[in-house]
Amino acid sequence: MGDRPLAEDDRVAQAKQGDTRAYGTLVEEHQTIAFRTAYLITGSAADAEDAVQEAFVKAYRALGRFRQGAPFRPWLLSIVANEARNRRRSAGRRERLALRAAEDPLSGGAVPSPEAALLDAEVREELLAAVNDLREDDRLAIACRYFLGLSEEETATTLGWRRGTVKSRTSRALDRLREHMEVER
Amino acid sequence: MTELERSLRLLGEALAFPEAPDVSEAVQRRLVDIRPQRRRPSRRTLVLAFATLAVAIGAVMAVPPARTAVLELFGLRGATVQRVESLPTLPRPDPAPPELLLGNPLAIQGGRPWVKSPNVLIPAALGRPDAAYAAEEPYGLRLTLVYGPGDGVPRSQYTGVGILMTEFDGAIDTRYLDKMVDAGSTVEELTVGGNRALWLEGGPHFVVFRTADGSIGEDVGRLAGNTLLVENGELLVRIEGEIDRERAIEIAESLEP
Repeated sequence: MGDRPLAEDDRVAQAKQGDTRAYGTLVEEHQTIAFRTAYLITGSAADAEDAVQEAFVKAYRALGRFRQGAPFRPWLLSIVANEARNRRRSAGRRERLALRAAEDPLSGGAVPSPEAALLDAEVREELLAAVNDLREDDRLAIACRYFLGLSEEETATTLGWRRGTVKSRTSRALDRLREHMEVER
Repeated sequence: MTELERSLRLLGEALAFPEAPDVSEAVQRRLVDIRPQRRRPSRRTLVLAFATLAVAIGAVMAVPPARTAVLELFGLRGATVQRVESLPTLPRPDPAPPELLLGNPLAIQGGRPWVKSPNVLIPAALGRPDAAYAAEEPYGLRLTLVYGPGDGVPRSQYTGVGILMTEFDGAIDTRYLDKMVDAGSTVEELTVGGNRALWLEGGPHFVVFRTADGSIGEDVGRLAGNTLLVENGELLVRIEGEIDRERAIEIAESLEP
């Protein structure tokens, strides 16, 4: 085997054959987005960690049912989301999404674009508060699409919704946020 | 992309997500005894296999092993029962219900679980559940009532509790609940309180949830014992435990909103 990293498809195929090392590379690559997805649902870092660990084990066991060549990430995230839902505690305990303080070291290796600094601090706070106040489904749609950067299709698979549902919930949520922010002209 | 959408993207980059813990070692440790399960035959394959077998029914005793893998296929709204020759080996769950991943524990008030769902059935024959859980699945709400052992009900070697009763919410028509049944067990079609039902007895079966297109499955990853599956209004109810058919029917007949 050479030093060049294998394509994801190949590593999935190897993992299917029981190659745990190949699977390990998939875990490493996807664990940050998996954790964030779980955190958005559970609102608790500890629950999210449990959900992610369990989901990776379940996904490995279920690899035989994964259609070779299909995108791996949304398939994995759907298992993560399911585990996270099962761990979601009663209402009221959820931590609200918060902003990084300007001087915070970057967490999770995410590098903000130079433009991120261009979003007015006040607007940012207000927009986040509005997102946090959205109803659960709408907040998830917004978070998957814009915070995690998932496509509409990936969001649908991850959350187990139909694509049309993702579309309508996103659009409803955007309307709410727009009303709240009056950002759009 | 609108200005608002762009702002949301930028906001996403400024969010303080808790640092993602590195789970790779913990996951690796847990993979030691696991191998990915082989892909199970698709529903279409099963139907084809069933048709093939039906044609060759006269020679059923001489069917070579590869073709006896699927011997029967029953349908019961959202649930199918496949008879297979051998079951996958799974670690037995710990006796604690939390290990069964039933979802969030629910408070029980006035003998009923505290859940916002119009479709909840309680078996009068068993009375107040000892615990109740709800899990939101992609196909809808999954409610589980747990009854401890006692009153002639032994502790199940599969679930660690006495009786486990699961109710699936309405949107089940897009999903299938598959149960892979060991060749040593029986499957019987019944009518319970005027409703269609299936009784599975004599051997463990494997509980697998699957989407309609077969692409994504939720693998509960445990074996189940004697089970009565019964349709009731919008719901499909599964009553599971080391109880006999009559007791299971009695419980199913006592279901009330």
